[in-house]
Amino acid sequence: MSTRQRAVLLVLPALVPVAAVVGAALVSAVLLSLGLTPLVGQPELSLDAWRAAAGDLGTATRLSLGIAAAATVLAAGVGLCLALAATAVVRRSRLLGALAALTIPVPHLVGAAAIGLLLADSGFLPRLLGVAPGDWPSLVGGQWWVAVVAEYAWKESAFVALVVGSVLASRARSYDETAALLGAGRWARFRYVTLPLAAPALGVASAVTFVYTLGSYEVAALLGRPYPEPLPVMAVRLAGSIDLAVRPQAAAVAVTTAVLALAAVLLALRALRRLSAWD
Amino acid sequence: MGLRKDPRAPHHSHARGGALHAGHAALAAWLVLPLVPLVLWAAADRWTAPAVLPQAWGTAGLRDAVDAGAGTGFLRSTVLGLVVAALATPLGAMAGRALATHRVPLGGAVLAVLLSPLVLPPFAVALGLDVLLLRLGVPSPVGVVLLLTVAALPYTTVLMRAAYAAHDRGFEDEARTLGATARQTVFHVQLPLLAPALAGAAFLAFLVGWSDYVVTLLVGGGQLVTLPLLVASAAAATGNEAQVAVLSLSSVLPPLVLLVAVGLVGRRARA
Repeated sequence: MSTRQRAVLLVLPALVPVAAVVGAALVSAVLLSLGLTPLVGQPELSLDAWRAAAGDLGTATRLSLGIAAAATVLAAGVGLCLALAATAVVRRSRLLGALAALTIPVPHLVGAAAIGLLLADSGFLPRLLGVAPGDWPSLVGGQWWVAVVAEYAWKESAFVALVVGSVLASRARSYDETAALLGAGRWARFRYVTLPLAAPALGVASAVTFVYTLGSYEVAALLGRPYPEPLPVMAVRLAGSIDLAVRPQAAAVAVTTAVLALAAVLLALRALRRLSAWD
Repeated sequence: MGLRKDPRAPHHSHARGGALHAGHAALAAWLVLPLVPLVLWAAADRWTAPAVLPQAWGTAGLRDAVDAGAGTGFLRSTVLGLVVAALATPLGAMAGRALATHRVPLGGAVLAVLLSPLVLPPFAVALGLDVLLLRLGVPSPVGVVLLLTVAALPYTTVLMRAAYAAHDRGFEDEARTLGATARQTVFHVQLPLLAPALAGAAFLAFLVGWSDYVVTLLVGGGQLVTLPLLVASAAAATGNEAQVAVLSLSSVLPPLVLLVAVGLVGRRARA
């Protein structure tokens, strides 16, 4: 047996289930959304499900993109600060690195429960600040999705810190010291040494955060408001409906989210390629 | 030899040090603050607003959590995590080894397919496959395990690919020269050397099964009531904060313990 054949045999046990599950899921969702595999009635090619979902689909898309963008910007900003603090040459904070690492295995669902207990109008934060429940803005279930964005930003900032921190720890210190020896000031070192070194890792971590947030269900379902809904919440509600005729609409929402996630990854890859070429 | 100091530093160092401390404190608060009410509520029998600390401590939350089925939920989540880890770790290790040798035809495309579950939203995959699994008559727990194993494979593959890329094959060649069989070489040389990476991969795969909510909800069809399902149904209701807190903490502690254990395995292997 050649080494090539052996390599193929080694990769197949992982490749086959992944390709089968992902391929079957996508094909099945597309067919269902086009009316070709209905749960009740005759198969017939139609855009009825897409038409029926169209109005809410637009709102849900904008909402999902907005939540994902806000959470990503916050997570990237705070995560970068955490990474800098945890890897700084002078006065490095080991504690922050350890705290960020400990946040990683907390499931998002638990994060959502925790943020609910923190930010609700009788939650821990208003009590700590001495604000009466009536005067506290409705952060949970409110108009601006503050609790939802806060949960994603909280969890993902630790992830960003871990990814960026590992790059900075291994590469940045020696460059930073060289630049300092050559007389570069604090700001110049940050702007021309640390930031360009951190940028590719920051970009990758931000892209992962964005795509994850876009497709994640439980946080918005728990901390969001009933209407309007982001894409995952809309899809799961439609899929769980007693009315089997709306299942194709759920499939249309699932296909939309998958296409958006794929587009986001392709755009991110292109931007990252430019970033590393420029670096 | 010291670093050359910023000439302005002496004038500003005091203020800058203070600002740095404030910044570090703010970052620490950002990471820790959400977990504080979770810990306090878990041990609170009575904690009405506007009190900053519970008025009565106790184990009412624990009792409620056990009554809600926390014990069986815990067991189910553990088994689900272990099964996913047991499947995704060896498959990912084999794929990672093959990809690290650069002998897989269309290696880039193969890697892209193996990473695709990271890009596609889990709820979308679950919704798409749900109907198909029903039509094929696949039992729902098997469907859940299949989907979660596929969700875990990107992590195990990438981690093991990196580990095999850094792995020195010289040790294996030497063992073979000294008369070890291929099988002995794998089990007595290759796997012990890769133990830290395997432990890390298994941990990540366990985490995928342990903490999943949406796939279990959509594909499990309500039969597989894991710990996350209990957390979600308790958190969606109002007035049982202590129960939510206990359920939440019990789904955070095992991964934390495992994380420390994996770290220790890694440290021992390096030593």
